[in-house]
Amino acid sequence: MRILLVVGVDPWTRSVSTVHKYAAAAKAQGHEIVVFGPAHWELPTLNFTTDLSDIDLALFVVQVPSDFPDMPYLATLLDGLPRERRMLVDMWGRFNDTIRLEHDFNHLEKMDGHQGWEWEDAMQAASDVILQPTLSPLRPQVGSFLFHGFDPGSVLRAHTTAKKAAAAWTDREFGALYVGSNWQRWEQVHRFFEGYRTIRDRAGKACLVGWDWDERPQWAEKLGIKGVDTDKAFLASVGAETRSAMHLNEVVERLGKARFAPVIHRPLFRHLGLVTNRTFETFYADAIPVLMLPRDFVASIYGEAGLALVPGPDLAAHLDDALTRAEFYWDAVLQVRGHLGRHHSYAQRLGELASLPTTAPRLGAAA
Amino acid sequence: MNILFVMKHRGNAGNTHAVANYQRVAPRHGHSVAIYGTPIWYVPELQFSTDIKDFDRVVYVFESDPYRIKTLHEAVMLTHFSRSKRLILDSDGMYNPVVNIDGYDFNHRNEAEREWWIAYFDAIGDRVMQTTVAKPANPRVSAMTFYGYNETLQVDPASAPPKQYDIVHVGHNWWRWRQVSSELLPAFEKIRDQVGEIGFIGLWWDAPPPEGPAAGPEEAFHSDPEALRRLRVKVTNAVMYHDVIHTMSSARINIMTQRPVLSHLRHLTLKYFEVFCADTIPMLMLEEGHAEAVYGPAARELVLTGRVAEKLLDALHRPDHYRGVVEDVRKHLVTHYSYDRLIGELVGALRN
Repeated sequence: MRILLVVGVDPWTRSVSTVHKYAAAAKAQGHEIVVFGPAHWELPTLNFTTDLSDIDLALFVVQVPSDFPDMPYLATLLDGLPRERRMLVDMWGRFNDTIRLEHDFNHLEKMDGHQGWEWEDAMQAASDVILQPTLSPLRPQVGSFLFHGFDPGSVLRAHTTAKKAAAAWTDREFGALYVGSNWQRWEQVHRFFEGYRTIRDRAGKACLVGWDWDERPQWAEKLGIKGVDTDKAFLASVGAETRSAMHLNEVVERLGKARFAPVIHRPLFRHLGLVTNRTFETFYADAIPVLMLPRDFVASIYGEAGLALVPGPDLAAHLDDALTRAEFYWDAVLQVRGHLGRHHSYAQRLGELASLPTTAPRLGAAA
Repeated sequence: MNILFVMKHRGNAGNTHAVANYQRVAPRHGHSVAIYGTPIWYVPELQFSTDIKDFDRVVYVFESDPYRIKTLHEAVMLTHFSRSKRLILDSDGMYNPVVNIDGYDFNHRNEAEREWWIAYFDAIGDRVMQTTVAKPANPRVSAMTFYGYNETLQVDPASAPPKQYDIVHVGHNWWRWRQVSSELLPAFEKIRDQVGEIGFIGLWWDAPPPEGPAAGPEEAFHSDPEALRRLRVKVTNAVMYHDVIHTMSSARINIMTQRPVLSHLRHLTLKYFEVFCADTIPMLMLEEGHAEAVYGPAARELVLTGRVAEKLLDALHRPDHYRGVVEDVRKHLVTHYSYDRLIGELVGALRN
């Protein structure tokens, strides 16, 4: 199959890493993944095209407005590829009624200028198969497709036993490291570091890598957007430093320079059960993930073993216990990696993708 | 037929005024016309809509920059209107080979830019209409008058504003300076003491746009405000489209110029027709044959080219004679360019 991904790719953010994984997995299976649009000089290993002649299936991967191709490419795509070969995965839950949780929204009109109806109309224009990366979409006419996946070959240090992993879990540059931008995550980040404070001396310094952690950005102030908060004094008090965003190729290795790697989903994603690249990617790193996620979500995605990596109400105790009983936690990590490899590989995702045109629910009426 | 125009809309631009005329006559013929977007407060009579699904056909109007709507909206637009229901109106001659007039005005800077435009047009639709009276060389292109003569806007001399000016030029300084400075200003210089107030009403005669290069090529806005001051030419700002004809009527003579590339391509603009609605004597800086093709044989007498100073004085001295010529041209325009006729042409093109 020749599968076209219609998505804005940026080497620094969003789904670019997953797109690379699809390309590699497809190649291994004798398929081909191509990305719609002109070639991107920073992403030389991806195949870009605007030639639609041999495309078997197209998947619009929609996070932000710029994931819809600009004109004239949009016209080329919508006119050139039959509707029945197009599907759309709504990565951020736009295809829902407006949801507000804490400061988080699925329709961020102040940020991108679009109200809910605009997203719905545009998505229905692209396809009558709308998917969301959650196991349980809210709307019956929306299908489930997690999109992101796990590539066992990408695990940086594939320890064969928990004992070996625990033994190697020493001499890290950081005690904890979080990679992700400051967007609707501050409450959870704050909670993590509040707990981390008590073990900092034992575990080592902490670091936040991503955009806008050092100070609340001016654009957020100007637009009156909350949920992009930070507290320099607090971060200093827990010994957490901030660094700017990193290239996709550096994330896993950098995470492995820490003992703990928290996995944090923004409130909207927690509510909708949406997965992200980091949901899976964190398990490639040579660090113990701290799953700051709902337990039922963890069990359904990571398997029962993942629950050992979910801190209870006393986060400090959880981290302290991990430092004390590293082998127990590494055993959970290895079990989760096995589970992810069995249930969420990109080979499986490609299989799901191929069957979705016949199995996914379709919107009642064409747009 | 419900027709949606996707276009750059401004209260002081000809294309917007032309569409307002289509909106006016459409209901008489069982049609409706709207511009895609939300209402502009200062021109409340213009009809806008964002309800794409209420329309049967779409007309994309392209000037010399590609007007784009939000991508999410464009997806809906392209899905609702299949290619056969889209029409592209090329009002600035972009769907052409590179045309460069004497190293000054051009439709494309170079071949690469042209290719980009052609690809853009081709991606959107199969049919391009150009607002020209010439037969387009490209078989994919047809000519369409588009701009028309609205007889109801003709100003009765009895109700016309006082003649504040002897001579006025209403229009923006967009690729006009070369013609103005080489033909018009030298003529003004010769006869300045014999003529009353002269005015230039429009944008960019005294300064280029404040947005800088984003507004377009620097040379398109070039002017010499000092030369205008020296000739006592009063420069005032643009007026809204519904005030254009009234403003033109405040002068005994109106001078009509056209940017060189459009003149070369024999494109029409709304100004061709607005100026004949006004209570004034239009003097045309057009090629004679082209003027006759558009306005009929009487218009030859209104052509300024090559004899500017003499003709201006003659018109000021013999206004009744020239008013007679203007009446002959108006009759021609009513017969050939009424919007009641043009909407049929537009609907026909959209049905075809």
